[in-house]
Amino acid sequence: MTLPAKAFQRWLHDIAPEASTADVCRISGIKRTTLAQQLVRGKVSVSTVVSVSRGYHVNPLAALATFETYRDLGGPQTPPTRCELVSQISTADLLRAVLARPALDASETSRMTASPLSAPPHATSVKNWVDAIDDGEVRHRVSATTGVAPQNYSAQLTANRLSPELALATAQAAGVGPAGGLVATGLITEEEAGWPPGARQAALDSLSDGDLTALAGDRLQALGKVLRRQEQDQAQTEKIWENLG
Amino acid sequence: MIEILQWSTLATCGLIAAARVPSAIRGENRSLFYIFGLMTVAILLSIEAPYAAIDQALGGINLANLLLRFIIFAAIYFVGIRITRGFGADGAHRLITGRAGMAVLLGISLVMTALFFMMDTSGSAAGLTGVVGTDPWNSALLEYYGAAGRAFPAYVTLVLLPAMVRAVLSRLPVLVRLAAGFLGLGAVATGLTLTFPLIPPVLGSVEFIINYTAVLCFVVGLALIWAARVRNGKLISRKKTSTGK
Repeated sequence: MTLPAKAFQRWLHDIAPEASTADVCRISGIKRTTLAQQLVRGKVSVSTVVSVSRGYHVNPLAALATFETYRDLGGPQTPPTRCELVSQISTADLLRAVLARPALDASETSRMTASPLSAPPHATSVKNWVDAIDDGEVRHRVSATTGVAPQNYSAQLTANRLSPELALATAQAAGVGPAGGLVATGLITEEEAGWPPGARQAALDSLSDGDLTALAGDRLQALGKVLRRQEQDQAQTEKIWENLG
Repeated sequence: MIEILQWSTLATCGLIAAARVPSAIRGENRSLFYIFGLMTVAILLSIEAPYAAIDQALGGINLANLLLRFIIFAAIYFVGIRITRGFGADGAHRLITGRAGMAVLLGISLVMTALFFMMDTSGSAAGLTGVVGTDPWNSALLEYYGAAGRAFPAYVTLVLLPAMVRAVLSRLPVLVRLAAGFLGLGAVATGLTLTFPLIPPVLGSVEFIINYTAVLCFVVGLALIWAARVRNGKLISRKKTSTGK
């Protein structure tokens, strides 16, 4: 999750040799107290590096690659797979795409016009990404290599979170490009990850009617489960308040 | 140390009871107000000075101690009903209000009252410390009387414990889970009171600490749930006003 402050200072000196801490904070939009605290503790968060590199117009991916832990990000960029691209389309966009297919709705009048896809991350983008690249054993391999317990890993996915290290380890275990997980968690944009513009739309268009509908069905089912669980939790909480509040 | 614990518990409980007066007047969960009120009276009766004053008014035969036990029973009974309803612990609810719970309550009450009137209880002393040592028959009776007084609270709270553990591990709001943790801790402390006969007299202060820990945990737990509800209400009203614009 964090990078050594020393390495961060060295990197910062390379990209902005003259800048004071105050300048860096102003340009990158980080609170001064936040950065100061991270430097004092000797641990700088990955998102700080991303913000600073954006502020100085450096590609965040290239910036991260200068750090030991993230060296894998520097290699020749592997293009995202179609599954990864589709996984980063929000459920709402997928459903709109389903309704836009002539096979599903033959009446021209009610057909929706395609609107541009919303940018990742979406509400379940992390879990969808891992599901998309999972051959059934990826989770086991990730916990074996990182030592993170499977239930902690699943908990992160359910909360739509994934630490950058785990995102990288997951991509490596699945044999896909290293930046995909960082896009899914929203740390970097798809453009910064080098995904070609319109790649997600193209991947969506290349899905057959059957595949698209089945995928949308899976997403809806998962969404239904989550919503039902939230409703149950809410009902339980209200009951507690009613009786004890 | 014990004095501080006693008076601060009284203050906490009294303040919460007072804070609930407005909502009790509005008719929201009046039984909770009664619970806090009963608990305040119970704590008052377990402190030497107020106990002596009240007992003198009741004839100076420590009748106030018997009264205290029944006040505790009533408070615990209502707490049990409220908590089992709120947390949806139907099995525990039946164990408290059903035939088993009634049998336990009736049996313990009869035994306790009988033991009280068999004792020579003249001379007001909180916790009946005065009657110990007058003769072995009396001190044996006192031991059983004390055990009977602790048995019903221990029964109710141990019935509650599984539901509290479940709630702590659930996905309910953090404040509610924290509250369930306090209630569970209170239940454990109340259960521990059953082991008092095994505690050597030298460690008498341990008994006080366990007693007041139990009361404080229950009071704080219930207050936290209330706080969670108030906080949630504020969040909702804020959301409403922000969408209403």
